[in-house]
Amino acid sequence: MAACTRRAAEVLCLVRTLRQIQHQNERFISTSLPHLAAGGDGRPPKFTPPPKPVIVDKTQSEASLRRFLSPEFIAPRSRTSGLKFVVERKDMVQRRKVLNIPEFYVGSILAVSMKDPYANGKTNRFVGICTQRKGSGLGATFILRNIIDGQGVEICYEMYSPRIQAIEVLKLEKRLDENLMYLRDALPEYSTFDFDMKPAPHNPTADVPINTVKVRMKPKPWSKRWERPKFNFQGIRFDLCLTPEQMEHAQKWAQPWLEFDMMRHHDTAQLEEAIYKEVQAELSK
Amino acid sequence: MASWSCRLFRLKDPLLRGTHVLVSGTAAPTSICTESIGVPAVQFVRTIKSTTWFDEHLTEDNASFMRQVVSEDFKQMTADKLYPLKDEPWPRHEWQEGSRRVGLVAVKLGMMPIWTKSGDRHVVTLLQVKDCHVIKYLPKEEYDGTCPALLVGGQNCSPFQRSEESLELFRNAGVPPKQKVSTFRVTENAILKPGTPLYAAHFRPGQYVDVTAKTIGKGFQGVMKRWGFKGQPATHGQTKTHRRPGSLGPGGDPAKVHKGKKMPGQMGNDFDTAFGLKVWRVNNRYNILYVNGSVPGHKNCLVKVRDTRLPKWAGQTGNLPFPTFFRDGEEELAEDLYADDMFQYGEEEATTA
Repeated sequence: MAACTRRAAEVLCLVRTLRQIQHQNERFISTSLPHLAAGGDGRPPKFTPPPKPVIVDKTQSEASLRRFLSPEFIAPRSRTSGLKFVVERKDMVQRRKVLNIPEFYVGSILAVSMKDPYANGKTNRFVGICTQRKGSGLGATFILRNIIDGQGVEICYEMYSPRIQAIEVLKLEKRLDENLMYLRDALPEYSTFDFDMKPAPHNPTADVPINTVKVRMKPKPWSKRWERPKFNFQGIRFDLCLTPEQMEHAQKWAQPWLEFDMMRHHDTAQLEEAIYKEVQAELSK
Repeated sequence: MASWSCRLFRLKDPLLRGTHVLVSGTAAPTSICTESIGVPAVQFVRTIKSTTWFDEHLTEDNASFMRQVVSEDFKQMTADKLYPLKDEPWPRHEWQEGSRRVGLVAVKLGMMPIWTKSGDRHVVTLLQVKDCHVIKYLPKEEYDGTCPALLVGGQNCSPFQRSEESLELFRNAGVPPKQKVSTFRVTENAILKPGTPLYAAHFRPGQYVDVTAKTIGKGFQGVMKRWGFKGQPATHGQTKTHRRPGSLGPGGDPAKVHKGKKMPGQMGNDFDTAFGLKVWRVNNRYNILYVNGSVPGHKNCLVKVRDTRLPKWAGQTGNLPFPTFFRDGEEELAEDLYADDMFQYGEEEATTA
């Protein structure tokens, strides 16, 4: 929407400048609707739409392409020596040259083909929504969830395993939470995805769309107390399943001092920059 | 900074003859009482401690100059020893049945997963061979009478926090001081000249090694964690007994507790060996060994790696570089050496599982 209004404003600006130029140069450039040159029969003339102005948008350059560094490249804070991560990243980049691991987030719908000796055709394809991304380095994993014949199924895939043959993103989007474990206690409609779903086109330059759906839950008891502040889930419709008293009771487990705890803050911005450059350089070799 | 310390009292009273009393802390030096008075004479040994840090009496410039000089010195030493086959090498012998070759000292970097060509997943530990040099040769008369030994050191360290006697060992070999020195019993045909650098290519993928290191210290631990005892139930009337050892043994017949009875005590911070670990991969650029499974010790600790002594792999040394891998030799090794059944990341999935 914002882009549209911006575009419209630009058009109007351009129209205004063109009109000014017209007055300055006293050249007749018709930018507005053609005046009603009444035809001979008194009927209004046929409407001809104005010519579309040609706008060369120089703002969309390489810089606006979305930069994405997969989270498993950034190692957790630990005493491990940097050389171990360097060596591990080399292996990860080598594997990525052979198998394309696309950009995806928790909440995107993926299709993974894996080699399986016991399946007919030797490959095994599973479609599901990504509920979690864990691990760092070569052991990074992601969990896909789907409901097949009424049974909820979650499969944990290791991204760098040689048994994976293809990872395809069918729908690229984000959700309100980093972790969608609560889908286990949500109504099944939110975890069901068709195996023959067609991949939806996604824009490589614009921001990743955030799906703001708030999920309706099955009645309590749940597998975990999702209302507790340690999870801080935004994507659940608590107003339909919990009373305000229950929500207040859950706040007893709040730890409001945690967000101010400076020892827990770990700024990875510089590390990300350096690793991103290194990875891009290696991939382009 | 001199300080008086009083270490040992010896009381000359005949009733208390033979007893020693230890007094801690500093006490004003008392005079030696004479026996003639009849008062118990007290004698103590005075020590003057005058240890200082190396830069305590140096200016900042001098201290940084010392550090700089020392590091340049080390680089020069390492460079001098890079080509052992070119400066008066000791004779190299061929491998024979029953020979034992030297091992290495490595740094434990961390762990990562690994996959075989058939898709099975294993875990490996990365061991980096950092500044490993042979330091001394002990002929069998000096060592234990049966076979000679080689002292090998790993990871350079600062000479400033070490005593002169320990530094002498490294000075004689012409190498920088090392943080860990290990002894390896070798056969006569596998001895090396002190100062020889050792590299990760000494081990090859597919062979099996033993790794020794000091385990992570857990302190004083109870019997359940230390020995894996089952303890007692949490409920059903147990009175103050949930993690205790229970019975200490049979009753009146031995009427004693056997020696070696498993009891609570210090756990960890002692040497332990992991036997029969397969070497999956050797990286020659960074000198890293990828060794199967886990290895005792914390991250960045120094470990001792040697060919396995398990009888199952007794004959493996035949195909390995003997007495060690010399970098200035003829063979040029690839950057990465892989075991036969290991999946290499650059290749497509070739085999069908």
